[in-house]
Amino acid sequence: MATSIFINYDNQNGMKIAVLIKTALDTGQLRVRDTVVVEETPLKISDIDRNAIEEAVKLKGQDKAYGVTALKWGPLQKKIQEAENVLREALAMGLDEAYLVADEKLLNASHLATAKAIAAVVKKVGADLVLAGEATVDNYTGQIPARVAAELGWPAVTYVRELRVEGGRVVARRDLEDHVEVVEAPLPAVVSVTREINQPRIPTLLAIRAAMKKPINRLTLADLGLSVEPKISAAYKPLAIQRKKVVIKDGTPEEKAEKLIQHLRQEGVI
Amino acid sequence: MKTLVVFPQRELLYAASTLGGEVAALVFSQREAEAVSGKVHKILLAEVDPRLPDAAAEVVAGAAAGYDLVLMPSTKNAKTIGGMAAQKLGAEFLTDVLSMRAEGGVLTAERYVFGNKAVAAVQVSLPAVVTVAPGRFQGEPPAVQSSVERLAAAPTSRLRIVAVEEKPRGAVRLEEAEIIVSVGRGFKKKEDIQMAFELAKALGGQVGCSRPIAADLKWLPEEHWVGLSGKKVKPKLYLAIGISGQPQHIAGILDSRIIAAINNDPSAPIFQNADYGVVEDLYKIVPILINKISKLKGQ
Repeated sequence: MATSIFINYDNQNGMKIAVLIKTALDTGQLRVRDTVVVEETPLKISDIDRNAIEEAVKLKGQDKAYGVTALKWGPLQKKIQEAENVLREALAMGLDEAYLVADEKLLNASHLATAKAIAAVVKKVGADLVLAGEATVDNYTGQIPARVAAELGWPAVTYVRELRVEGGRVVARRDLEDHVEVVEAPLPAVVSVTREINQPRIPTLLAIRAAMKKPINRLTLADLGLSVEPKISAAYKPLAIQRKKVVIKDGTPEEKAEKLIQHLRQEGVI
Repeated sequence: MKTLVVFPQRELLYAASTLGGEVAALVFSQREAEAVSGKVHKILLAEVDPRLPDAAAEVVAGAAAGYDLVLMPSTKNAKTIGGMAAQKLGAEFLTDVLSMRAEGGVLTAERYVFGNKAVAAVQVSLPAVVTVAPGRFQGEPPAVQSSVERLAAAPTSRLRIVAVEEKPRGAVRLEEAEIIVSVGRGFKKKEDIQMAFELAKALGGQVGCSRPIAADLKWLPEEHWVGLSGKKVKPKLYLAIGISGQPQHIAGILDSRIIAAINNDPSAPIFQNADYGVVEDLYKIVPILINKISKLKGQ
């Protein structure tokens, strides 16, 4: 199955898709003092979510694809602006509309609460299919797609590297540790994708401009009729990896090779 | 403390025993039940295909009633099952934990976050669901008397497995390798990677690679891929050749004892994450290393 034929759900009408987008901490720009200063670390789109967006844009046909974000990192007012910028990127890739759940009560590490908020938005937009990245680049737990599926009572098809939607069901190739599993599940369903599934498009200037006019709907937990009780707290300590950083840059290749071998022998690793 | 271990294996059973109290195992076959006999107080045997996450999660959530903690391995299917079960239980779910302790209804655990650049100390109220990072809980679970209980629940799944394709698998077991020679975009042609295999052979090690080599160029099968979404390795020597050192790659090699790097670009980020770095053209230095190390080992 090197190439796939994409057939729209319900023939020409397409289907409503909700794409889960994490406005993740940019781990390349972590602000670090004694602890990681989450509040000062900029947000970016979680990379693998671009693949989920790309898949949604390919599959949606004549219908709509929505971006759904629950804002996890505070402070709220500052991060809302950054999250909206991330969602503009997603809209420029071809999503039609975005939903941003921004609420003080979601600014903690509770995945239970996040999944409830996301599931509520999925119901609100009436999606038939939820697409998400296999995991997010900041926390990398990969649990939100499974949780959203359980919350909605839908099947979860995770770690998908090839996806077809036909005759009201998804057919997927799941990339597991030692084997690839081909599975079928009826819609509605939640599917999480890996980076291998596609090559995300780079939006054109025209698409970026058009995205400025697309709606970003902001919601609170109250708007969704939810109240949550966090049962979790977390403190983030920068990992002090003390590498020796000895750099050998002088001498002939022969001399450099000799020096490297000496060091490695002294360490007792060769 | 009551802990339920799903997909039991030695590390998980040992991890559960460190928390004290009662340990039970949830298994999905008679064979697994026999394997775990004498290592847990109670064995729960369920008649469901554990490859089907929705059905398995329903069994796990049902069996977890009365337990403080559900412990699982950090595999993709276990994480899927764990996420679904945790949502059904209204519990938090921590994946890939490095350490943990339970006290007064609260579990404190550590895990790598932010591209493995930080450690999160997380506190969750019990009951909770946890998957354990491999290699972190080394020990033998104590011998105990086991009783067996067959679970009546046999939920149906909405998934259907159509086919299972084995991945082409060589003799590569990077997770267990003591020495890894790893290749990146500094190699200009697929054939040139042969040099890395020769060096690995001289060192008695295995060959790894960065993402582009496996995922984009497909010069090596994915079983060689080291990084956040590839293999996480912990050799005594990781020798990165022609690898720039993107954060996702570094995240996969953090537990290496010594990291050495060869790159012709002195500003390559790999040098900030290495114990020993050599600024040199790999095409010049690797043949010399193969030669010298072969002689050394020949002595």
